[in-house]
Amino acid sequence: MSADIFGAVQTAVTDALGVDEDEVTPEATLLDDLGAESIDLLDILFRLERKMGVKIQAADLAAYVQGGIPDDEFGDADGIITEKGLAQLKKALPQIDEGALAGNLPAEKVMSLFTVQNLADMVAARVANKDN
Amino acid sequence: MRRLLSETPDIIDTIFTAREQAYCEGKRRRYEHLAARFAAKEAVLKAFGTGIGQQMRWIDVEIVNDLRGRPSVELAGEVAAWATRHGLLELDVSLSHTSTLAIAQVIAVWAAEAG
Repeated sequence: MSADIFGAVQTAVTDALGVDEDEVTPEATLLDDLGAESIDLLDILFRLERKMGVKIQAADLAAYVQGGIPDDEFGDADGIITEKGLAQLKKALPQIDEGALAGNLPAEKVMSLFTVQNLADMVAARVANKDN
Repeated sequence: MRRLLSETPDIIDTIFTAREQAYCEGKRRRYEHLAARFAAKEAVLKAFGTGIGQQMRWIDVEIVNDLRGRPSVELAGEVAAWATRHGLLELDVSLSHTSTLAIAQVIAVWAAEAG
């Protein structure tokens, strides 16, 4: 992934959230560390669309993380991520510790693991897809 | 909301339906009305426990007002399909807003699980 893409993501996040650029590190999580709310995610995605020319909807973030796995297969009846869900999660968010999360990660908390680097990877994939 | 729509005006079509935009257009407190509607959309998706899930769009949750101004929720697309699959019977919404805060409450009534 080019430094340009990470730089564009960093700028979009910094501008949308009004945080200092040095807080927007690759490993910072958007929701927990940087305090983004759903309306901020919209703002970030729209800024990236204008800058990079790739349209990413809020639902695309969920689809990227969940990999198209239906809700009832991604989480069990108690809302905990299944083994299949966790395997998908590891592909989308390679930084996670599967062992520590196995059997105790609520599906609703998944997006709190999403980092600036994960967003940059997703944008890079979209840009590559657009160029091909 | 004011900052978001001022800096990125085209984003409005991603968040609000034409009916929602028309309802708020021209109102003295337009941004408050829009912010309250966004809060209501979030409240609906939180009541469902999904957030914005796969294939869901913000415009799939629409806040409409009757002739007396009473708000209600209309669902479309994947959000409507999800609600139907999970046995949603009724949704009630209440909106409040000031110059600095927008609050929405949603009550969702579900069919009892079989068995």
